[in-house]
Amino acid sequence: MSDFSSGAIVDDDLDFSAAQNRAKARDAAGTKAVAWGGRGLNIAIGVSAVVMVAGIALWFMQLSGGMVQTGMRNLNSWGLYITSFMFFVGLSAGGLIISSVPKAFGIAGFGGISKVAVMSSIACTVAAIGMVVVDLGQPARLWELFAYSNLGSPLMWDILVLGTYLILSCVYLWAQVQADAGKMSTAALRVISVVALVCAVLVHSVTAWIFGLQQGREMWHTALLAPWFVSSALVCGTALVMVVAVALRRAGYLSLDQAYLVKLAKLLGAFVMVDLYFFGCDLLTEGFPGGSGAEVVAMLTSGPLAPYFWIEIVGCAVCAVICFMPALRTNALLVVGSLLAIAGIFCKRVQLLVGGFQIANLDYASALTPMQHTAFDSGLAGIYGQMVYWPTPLEFGVTLGVVALAVLVFLLGLKLLPLRPADDSSSK
Amino acid sequence: MHYGFAIDQERCIGCHTCAVACKIENNLPNEIWWNRILTDGGSNEMDIPRGSFPDNSIDYLPVNCQHCENPACVRVCPVGATYKDEATGIVRQDYDKCIGCRMCMAACPYTGVRSFNWQEPEYMLDYTLGAKDSPEHQRHTVEKCTMCWHRVAGGGEPECVKACPGRARIWGDLDDPNSEISKLISSRECKQLLPEEGTKPSVYYLV
Repeated sequence: MSDFSSGAIVDDDLDFSAAQNRAKARDAAGTKAVAWGGRGLNIAIGVSAVVMVAGIALWFMQLSGGMVQTGMRNLNSWGLYITSFMFFVGLSAGGLIISSVPKAFGIAGFGGISKVAVMSSIACTVAAIGMVVVDLGQPARLWELFAYSNLGSPLMWDILVLGTYLILSCVYLWAQVQADAGKMSTAALRVISVVALVCAVLVHSVTAWIFGLQQGREMWHTALLAPWFVSSALVCGTALVMVVAVALRRAGYLSLDQAYLVKLAKLLGAFVMVDLYFFGCDLLTEGFPGGSGAEVVAMLTSGPLAPYFWIEIVGCAVCAVICFMPALRTNALLVVGSLLAIAGIFCKRVQLLVGGFQIANLDYASALTPMQHTAFDSGLAGIYGQMVYWPTPLEFGVTLGVVALAVLVFLLGLKLLPLRPADDSSSK
Repeated sequence: MHYGFAIDQERCIGCHTCAVACKIENNLPNEIWWNRILTDGGSNEMDIPRGSFPDNSIDYLPVNCQHCENPACVRVCPVGATYKDEATGIVRQDYDKCIGCRMCMAACPYTGVRSFNWQEPEYMLDYTLGAKDSPEHQRHTVEKCTMCWHRVAGGGEPECVKACPGRARIWGDLDDPNSEISKLISSRECKQLLPEEGTKPSVYYLV
């Protein structure tokens, strides 16, 4: 707590000491894992808390001054918040799936990262829910979701499934801790794993259906969207677990055999290939008839969204090469590949969200107002000639605040919960 | 009862009177238009005809909420803030219920029909215009054409229909084969906007 208050005053010093501490922790890691934690972790918790509070302050600014301060308008009515929502729902997958699949099917797992992986899932789910909340115009009316639920709305399904998913992830984590302490049978843990796994698949499908069931948006309306969301979630989720595992090993939090990382890398490579395959299928199906779907393909490959398209394709391809070539599976390259995959999937989320608004169904000229688009005075050509949406600094700030909330949840989990592998702690 | 509009494109002169009448009747905030007049012409600028002189032509497409029989917006609203009134077929919006998630704006295929109050509503004048019983606008909620519910409920017709100087807007009961609108639709060539979306709009364009 004392770190927290000093962190609020001087930010620069704080970063510096955090880096110093990380370096110190790294040195200590080789000799004694117990030295991990301490001041560096407290400072990181302090920093993320400060960023989160700043984000909340910006959110209040958005609510009091109006959402006119964002880049969203009638013609592009969703933006960075919903993009990040999709992204974090996806990120939350990996941890839970990596952890539950081996237990559910009774196969060898990925060493001691199981509990940390689930903790990362919980943190990402919290971020996903936070992103929906900051996107709402009337968050004080959230209670209505439960009072006047329209069970036919995909958004309603998502709120139910996401809430269940968060609770289930927590229960699953608790069950693992209990099992480690010998207080729970493996059979019970296995049942919880299966339920968690089903729920994880559902949460991605339902998130996809928020978009995929909308017949009015050419880019979104495809049956492939749900399985594709699952595969993208597996890509970025596995990549996140890889990065977290390497980082925590480096910091001396846990020891992890390289064989587990190699296994994780092979899995990541396979997921990346499936995701790219789905993208290929989708592009071909959209583009082949040459009708309005061809417009979508052109928008992605050579239109306003081309940078995001190509970063995704190239990033994912490079990641796959790193994962499949034994000689390239060094720690540094695995982290680079994972980060490329995560960035690639984020770019995919941008393409999906912006792509839905980039092609107007009624593109006739009319009087445009600042409520319809921020670039209303440049006409239809100005609006649709480039990316139809770009966030404002306020949106970046609020988004950063929600990300900080997720980091805070994760770090508090590391600090307060017994997430280290059971065999690690017993060997000390 | 199933109320709908017929808009005679042969009669529409693109004067925007219906749009302004709508704005006044419903006391719409600054920069908000529930009824917009699109130009179907030769460029993506307003009021530019297609073709080269002297062979020019231009069509106007007044677009407001299509009050669909199968409304995409109603399906996706998580709290039922947008709903279809079964007795009249009018798609309504409850400002007090709307949580501002904008799911309906993503769902509606008719670009720009739904409108969000991105800020506290501001007005050009210090006093309220239009009907006393048209609902008050709220910040961060979605709104759109109500088919002048406050007038229709009292037996009146929508203000845009009343105001059209070219009598290009016809309103009435689509279920009644003897209504003026039904007769026009059955006797004239007409089209609907984006029929391929399956929303079954209640607005017919007479061409």
